Amino acid sequence: MVVSILGSQIIGIIPLGDIVFYMTSFNLFMFAAALAFTFIIAISKTETQVEAEFGSLGDREIKVAKKEFKFRRFLAIICGLATAGAMVTGDIFDFTLFVCLIGIVNIGIVGAVKQIDVLDSAFQYGLIAMIASTPLFVGASLILAATGTISILAINSLTYTTPMMLFGSILLFLGVAGETGVAPFFATKAEMFRTPGSPFLLIIHLSSLLVIVRVIEILLIINKPF
Amino acid sequence: MNLMLNILLNVIIAFLIGTILIGLQRKIMARIQGRPGPPIIQHLLHTLKFFIKESAFPKTAAMPFYVAITAMLFVIWVAAVIDGPVTEGSLLLIFAIYTIQKIGEHNAGSSSGSPYGKMSCVRAVYSAAAEVPLFAVLIIIYLKAGTMNISSIINYQSIHGPLLFTIPLAAIMFFVLILSKSQYSPFAITKGKDIVSGYETEHFGLLRGYLMISESIAWYMLLWVFLTVFIGPLSLPAYLIGMVVLSTIVAFINAVTPILNPNHSVMMQVSLAFIGIAGSIVLLMI
Amino acid sequence: MDKLKIISWVLFIVSVGSILYALIFNPASWIVYAIALVAIPVSVLSFGFIGMAKGNKEEEEGKRREPFIGY
Repeated sequence: MVVSILGSQIIGIIPLGDIVFYMTSFNLFMFAAALAFTFIIAISKTETQVEAEFGSLGDREIKVAKKEFKFRRFLAIICGLATAGAMVTGDIFDFTLFVCLIGIVNIGIVGAVKQIDVLDSAFQYGLIAMIASTPLFVGASLILAATGTISILAINSLTYTTPMMLFGSILLFLGVAGETGVAPFFATKAEMFRTPGSPFLLIIHLSSLLVIVRVIEILLIINKPF
Repeated sequence: MNLMLNILLNVIIAFLIGTILIGLQRKIMARIQGRPGPPIIQHLLHTLKFFIKESAFPKTAAMPFYVAITAMLFVIWVAAVIDGPVTEGSLLLIFAIYTIQKIGEHNAGSSSGSPYGKMSCVRAVYSAAAEVPLFAVLIIIYLKAGTMNISSIINYQSIHGPLLFTIPLAAIMFFVLILSKSQYSPFAITKGKDIVSGYETEHFGLLRGYLMISESIAWYMLLWVFLTVFIGPLSLPAYLIGMVVLSTIVAFINAVTPILNPNHSVMMQVSLAFIGIAGSIVLLMI
Repeated sequence: MDKLKIISWVLFIVSVGSILYALIFNPASWIVYAIALVAIPVSVLSFGFIGMAKGNKEEEEGKRREPFIGY
């Protein structure tokens, strides 16, 4: 029975059939943070962005319309729940599914706005996310082929690291990097954040950063250098 | 000792020492620039002053998100204090908290609807590119010490000597991370004066004081993590001396560098990260 | 008292109460962590809302939408 992952004790395991969720203090904190932020998003209104008008001294206000607000809030809550799930899952394939879902929903959250430059940026980010889904799933399948399991708890008890596992992890990291927009792909995502709807932008950014921290944990579990 | 008392004392110590260190940094920067500078307790006085001022909440702000995001920043740094000095738990958690701090900056900026906050929000996304050195530091520490648990890393260092000497490039990369979180640093693009105050611009009165408390605790915790993970088991006076030395070095760097523009700031941090990663891999193989 | 004051007093009393409960009764460590994470920030925030200064009533109309009167 596995009792420690990267030095921290496992607090609990929730077996949902084949898909096992495990919690160490680290996963539990990120899970709770994702849920707390999702709750805050669910109860918040959006802000009104104020910009200067050309040709007069007035202000131009950009608000989020009611229908758009409801649609984007729904997608933001889905994204938050997917992030929370990705934080505690003990299954590599489940993790890649959640990451893919986060990528799709990120595009959807800004897909409803009416600003051309934001939509352009979302389109470019969408292209990269789609391209990145290949290394994402190929990496997961190579790890399955090399170790015989996609359960992170089972891989944690393996004592060796083959070169194929290393290659699979690199592909997995590339896939996550493209889907979440870590450097250098962040340059496409930055322009997406200029639109109003601050709570929804939070979940785009939060999902990316939490997923990156979690994938580092998974990579360190898979690749044991000693 | 009672656990709650332990947590409370550590949070209060983190706040007070963090505040004084930030004040010390401003004093040193001022003296280098040839001016007297504010008194060292100025940051503490400002924080307390803001709690009794009249606060204005912008009409265009996204309520209650605008208030909740400042509370979340405080929550995560209390979690860092619990994970660090109190329980000496997982190092990965400290880094997760560091990334959530970026989220807090991002959304404190965009939640008010002000154009300055919006610029800071987009710049916070750029500054997330500084996560590259963060992961490299994590991986290198793991490769060297074999664990991500802070108390195990302390034990490793009491046997093998400080990690500062065995993985110096990782220490330098972590120092660049600390530098990017300090006031007036060349990498502080989210708080630059060219966008008034960045993400803090539209948080007035009480919420500004609240943000300043989180900043002080964050500064203390970053220095604590550096000293613990790279130098090892230290007594309280040694921690204080180490923190003063680190704040002084940061103050010297901040006093003589201008704030870089966002692209240069990101490229500089990423370049330093690549040099650090390549150098560490070479050093590990030798 | 207006809504904000009432909510802040309630939150302040609840959060300080839970901190005192954790100090005196010393429950299991995960309960203490949960109380510390939620109650310490909420207590400081609600204390701030209680102690914050209020502006004058006469000036309030002028602060709400100040007309731009030129440079």
